[in-house]
Amino acid sequence: MKTLSLISTIIAGAFLIYGSMDMPHWGDPYSPASTHVSPYYLRNSLKDTATPNVVTSVLADYRGYDTLGETTVIFTAGMGCLLLLKKRRKK
Amino acid sequence: MFESLLHHYNYWMFIGLMMIGFYAMMAKKNLIKKIIGMNIFQSAIILFFISTSVKGGGVTVPILEHPEGAQGGFVDVMKYANPLPHVLMLTAIVVMVATLGVALAVVMMIYKRYHTLEEDEIALIRRKQGLKC
Amino acid sequence: MLGETSILIVIIPLISAALTPLVGLAREGLSYLCTITALTLSTLASVHTLFRVLTEGTVHYGLGGWPPPFGIELVVDPLNGMMLVLVSAVGLIVAVYSYRGVEQELTGRMVYFYTLYLLQVTGFLGILITGDLFNLYVFLEIASLAGYALIAVGEDGAPMACFRYIVMGTVGACFYLLGVGYIYISTGSLNMADVHLLMKGLYDSKVIATAIAFILTGLAIKMALFPLHVWLPDAYTKAPSAASALIAPLMTKISIYVMIRILFSVFGISLFVELFPLNRIMVWAGFAAICGGAVMALAQTDFKRMLCYILVAEVGYMIGGLGLANAIAIRGAILHILNDAVMTAGLFTVAGIIMHRMKSHRLADFEGLFQKMPFTMSAFVVCALSMIGVPPTCGFFSKWYLIHGAILARQWPFVAALLGSSLINGILFFRVIEVGYVFQFSTPAHTHAGEGMNRMEEAPLSMLIPTVGIAVAIILIGFYNQAIVKHIIDFALPKL
Repeated sequence: MKTLSLISTIIAGAFLIYGSMDMPHWGDPYSPASTHVSPYYLRNSLKDTATPNVVTSVLADYRGYDTLGETTVIFTAGMGCLLLLKKRRKK
Repeated sequence: MFESLLHHYNYWMFIGLMMIGFYAMMAKKNLIKKIIGMNIFQSAIILFFISTSVKGGGVTVPILEHPEGAQGGFVDVMKYANPLPHVLMLTAIVVMVATLGVALAVVMMIYKRYHTLEEDEIALIRRKQGLKC
Repeated sequence: MLGETSILIVIIPLISAALTPLVGLAREGLSYLCTITALTLSTLASVHTLFRVLTEGTVHYGLGGWPPPFGIELVVDPLNGMMLVLVSAVGLIVAVYSYRGVEQELTGRMVYFYTLYLLQVTGFLGILITGDLFNLYVFLEIASLAGYALIAVGEDGAPMACFRYIVMGTVGACFYLLGVGYIYISTGSLNMADVHLLMKGLYDSKVIATAIAFILTGLAIKMALFPLHVWLPDAYTKAPSAASALIAPLMTKISIYVMIRILFSVFGISLFVELFPLNRIMVWAGFAAICGGAVMALAQTDFKRMLCYILVAEVGYMIGGLGLANAIAIRGAILHILNDAVMTAGLFTVAGIIMHRMKSHRLADFEGLFQKMPFTMSAFVVCALSMIGVPPTCGFFSKWYLIHGAILARQWPFVAALLGSSLINGILFFRVIEVGYVFQFSTPAHTHAGEGMNRMEEAPLSMLIPTVGIAVAIILIGFYNQAIVKHIIDFALPKL
């Protein structure tokens, strides 16, 4: 089991490093991640949402549905723990 | 290879962290250690995402200074870090905390039943009781 | 009057999930009613959306009114329109069926069970409807977390099985997220349609190759594709019968849907067929899954466990069908998603009824069941025939398309595996029927039922009607398979 885990870990790590070779350089301001969607948020956040903190405006407005999902995840976990840890009533 | 290391060493470090977590998840026999491995793996993914939001030197957090941007004025995009990965990871952190909670609840149930958290000991107990694993 | 129903499909169960514990405070039974109402409304909304999609074409809905690449978008096309109707309908039927089982197996915890049940269905529907890669991850986790909790409350040994599922499921979800991260780094977008456009110039990028590999591996864990299936049999066997009847048919099918969506709508069919040996890998993975699942199923003495291994084999049908990459095989694979979800739901509901009455799901305890529960067992026979692939039932038609597609693609080992697994399914189910039917006159001394052997002990109506309903649906889908293929699936096929 240990060798199997080690082998799969090495394979996964090597694959990830192989993939990272073609990535834009770290901190490249012209990488796709920084030039495609995100400038829109920075430019329009104040105009659209009147929020200077862009992370807030994206979190709560542009991608608010994700945040709804996020709160649902917490609710699910809470309900799950209640279901799992509630003492069974003795009959 | 060296060129790549120079420009991607941050990703490589996070990949290294991920693999530490991944290995712990699979190879460790103790259930809590598995969960710790899970957390290392997930935290490394968070760091990985966050590191994509960096833009060279001299950038600051994505909080706009008031004069710019107000009334649709010009915003120097190169001055602020990319906000999207931060948002995604805020969501992902919460998801991971929730997973951790459920995993620990399940571990509590396991402990109540077997009074041990070692995987092989649990298998042994089950075999002694004549149950298939 | 009915304007935008697509968002309602997810929002109704989500809000009801928050309401369920509140109404459950007043009286436990109300949480059941709340679940049924929510799922009925959600089913109606998804049927309405499907009809709208079929008449008007793909429905787009930008959440919060933001245009697609910036905000999150819901997209309903014929493929996920069909899946939405399927999932909400199966969710509704199993919810109706679940009441007695929950009452018996989870006394005092019904409210939490139904809350999580609704969240589980919400997660499924959210995965299906979204057009955003990261949003899919969030809903995948909602579905997984609800699933972990529902599975862990099962019989003895369930927490340990569930823990293995949590570890593997988290690896799967993390791999998916990592793949999405790689896509984001190289394209800068998370919207599926947008990523698809940006992907065109990046086909030879190592980043994209890694992203595909990690997303597909993550999904393969979630769908229990053969060597990665180890968590499934334990977890689904030990789950409470109501939970396994919901999760077993749907979770694997939804992962396969996500795989179709990622391969065809995000990466694009040309990448899939031309640039990698990916389709050949998928055919062989399907082949391995069918053989492995069928052989392991033969070795089981437990009914539910046997069903789990059959489920593993069925995943192989669909993955292999996708890998064949011709229109007929993919049509077969998509039709098989529909059929298999219905058939598996039928079989697991039957297993739940037997569990309810006999307190066991071991094959040895099935003696004389045909006499005791004639209606349940007739429903079982219909499901079994469909699994084997006997003509009037729906299982035949999807297998027919798959075999036809495999012959066209000249993948003879896969053809042989499909035929062989039908044969093995035949053996498996006739073994069950034999135990239930032929042995009914044997001495009752070594059975649990004792003197009640000859009395009819049919399941309660609230369990029986949904099960028989599923059996009828299997036959109806069989009769109307032409209509389904012509009006829905043919629009869902990727352009080859």
